[in-house]
Amino acid sequence: MVILTPSAEAGAHPVSGLPVPLATASKLVNRVTVKPRLGQWSKVLVGGSNLLPDESGAFAVLYPVPYGGISDTFSLQDDGGQNTIDLSQIYIYATVFGDSPMVEAFEYQTI
Amino acid sequence: MKRREWLQGLVAVGGVAALVRKAAGQNPAFIGPPAGTRGTLISAIMAGPFDASGTLNGVRQLSAVPQFASFVRIQVNPGNAGKIAIGTSAMDTRANDKSDFAFVELWPNYDGSFNGGQSDVWTLSDPKGLDTIDISRIWVWPEFAGEMPIVTAFQMV
Repeated sequence: MVILTPSAEAGAHPVSGLPVPLATASKLVNRVTVKPRLGQWSKVLVGGSNLLPDESGAFAVLYPVPYGGISDTFSLQDDGGQNTIDLSQIYIYATVFGDSPMVEAFEYQTI
Repeated sequence: MKRREWLQGLVAVGGVAALVRKAAGQNPAFIGPPAGTRGTLISAIMAGPFDASGTLNGVRQLSAVPQFASFVRIQVNPGNAGKIAIGTSAMDTRANDKSDFAFVELWPNYDGSFNGGQSDVWTLSDPKGLDTIDISRIWVWPEFAGEMPIVTAFQMV
């Protein structure tokens, strides 16, 4: 049977200096969400492989939540119910060195 | 709606609920319809404040046994002062801040001063409305022991 379950790539992703992909090898998922971590000061950029720190190539620029509040969020889901989003093609960048945006990823698995 | 139609609807809903209860009673390791199915009636299988305080490390999965839902919602309970972390079993650790192992953090709503008093909310739904979300794979950690987020899960039965 098929279940929608958290991917191993879900969690905090530290970013040090340059945009990083959400997965080092191809990984297909159904849904991905990126949010700045609560209390951190980074703007978070989300983009493709051409993402640069100057925001060129950005799908989204997420505002930080240093003093609290609901996080700015980028979310993408395949409404057809398939694993079609390749995490290795989605890059994130945090403007403060070492900050770690939160990444939520869910994938369909057959168990 | 005529009274007779209303009564018929009421009986139908009650019958489905009874079937779900019967399934749960027959096999305590599995509750409700199997994963990937889609019924015709949305039924709440979880609602209300969720207490994780009695568990090891203060981290608790939404269900101790596999249960499959089509929609899950977790809301910070207004008035609570700690954040809520949502993740997998990886959060069940002795680290002080278990949100380091989470995939979502929800900001607390202790005095209504942020976002116009709106609570931070996390939702997950199957895009086709199928019961594919195994809520036993979703774990919750309230930063402050004893605080209870509002957890809701719906199943198509």
